Amino acid sequence: MYRLPMRCLLFISLVLFSCGCSNAYRGMTAVPGNAACLERFKPHFIKTLYRTRVDLTGNHLSGILLIKLMPDSSTRMVLSNEMGFSYFDFAFAADGSFRVFYILPKMDKKAVITTLRKDFELVLMQHLDSQQPQIRWREGLTYYRFPQASGSYYYITTKDCGQLVRMERAGRRKPVVTAVMSGSGQGVPDSIGITHNNFNFTIGLKKISP
Amino acid sequence: MHKFLLACLVFALPILAIAQYPGYKPVVDLVAFSGRFTAASRQLQSVKSDFIQEKNLSLLADKISSSGKFWFKKPGMVRMEYLSPFQYLVIISNNKIYMRDGQKENKISSKSNKTFQQVNQLMLDCIQGAVLANPAYQASVLEGGDYLIALSPTAAGLKEFFSHILVYVSRKDFSVTKLRMDEKSGDNTIITFTNKEMNVPVADALFTIH
Repeated sequence: MYRLPMRCLLFISLVLFSCGCSNAYRGMTAVPGNAACLERFKPHFIKTLYRTRVDLTGNHLSGILLIKLMPDSSTRMVLSNEMGFSYFDFAFAADGSFRVFYILPKMDKKAVITTLRKDFELVLMQHLDSQQPQIRWREGLTYYRFPQASGSYYYITTKDCGQLVRMERAGRRKPVVTAVMSGSGQGVPDSIGITHNNFNFTIGLKKISP
Repeated sequence: MHKFLLACLVFALPILAIAQYPGYKPVVDLVAFSGRFTAASRQLQSVKSDFIQEKNLSLLADKISSSGKFWFKKPGMVRMEYLSPFQYLVIISNNKIYMRDGQKENKISSKSNKTFQQVNQLMLDCIQGAVLANPAYQASVLEGGDYLIALSPTAAGLKEFFSHILVYVSRKDFSVTKLRMDEKSGDNTIITFTNKEMNVPVADALFTIH
């Protein structure tokens, strides 16, 4: 009597399990090429101010983010609130290393720093110079995959690499973070959006100075 | 021996103060200053002013500037409206802090957040002339072209953010002309009040938190 419902339950579980484990990067065709075309999408910050809005699980935070290219070719990011109090001051060196100059004691947690570091690394596209990607096509889009120690960075363009559609930081099977940039006049995006897919966390940047 | 050390300290402190704040020397008659500062603040019912805010980033040799309008009304109501280069509103009223960033609104009870309460109290104490009596700071008063009240936070919370808070007071009317907040990181934020109008009608509606 209970066999049929149990089988149904097992079937539903298997379907849900297989959906949960589905690979978002499956069904792609490997193609030859290089990542040189991505260079034109790479932001070239000299000194830019962004109005910054962060929404994290129902909490809203806002401030001003200064992104500045330093004489040693590192990129500094300083976020402070509107009244001037600093949240963090990070440096992304040209060689890929990372340094925390300051972080608000309440934010000074490894998970927070790592998350922010990886989010901004995705947008800064610094690893373009250091490695050759795997290139694949699917549904009119070209995926440039840069494998990392854990997960990968994907830069997804139109098939002819004419336009950067989105950027993704992915685990083994699914994108964990999706980022978009728009209005990249003179190499500096007008706006940047970073969305975490696993939990309610978004970062929105809108340029307020040239 | 103890008396000798105390005497050294008494003589050394003013010298240190002079070295730290060039152009200023310790006020000789502190009681007289305190009396006049408090009396002038008692007369103060309202303030309407413009403000310019500069956040100076020491390691980046750069600054972030913003400006807006400021209102104060007794008892303890403050409205700061940032107008350029971004729009942002802060209202402090009845131990509540309201912040509006575009369409997003945040309301915080300063009682539930100790640091917010201390910052809130600092701003009100500066305007109302009670800053010298606040046990959350160690204060020293200096004079030059104007008066300078140098505050070192002693209370936990504020100590995490600030190394010093400097309050510049006009010799003419004992009103606050400038506020400088030195962060532990070496950065500082300077708020300069301009076009001040004292004891002018200021509507209560400006401080209403919806």
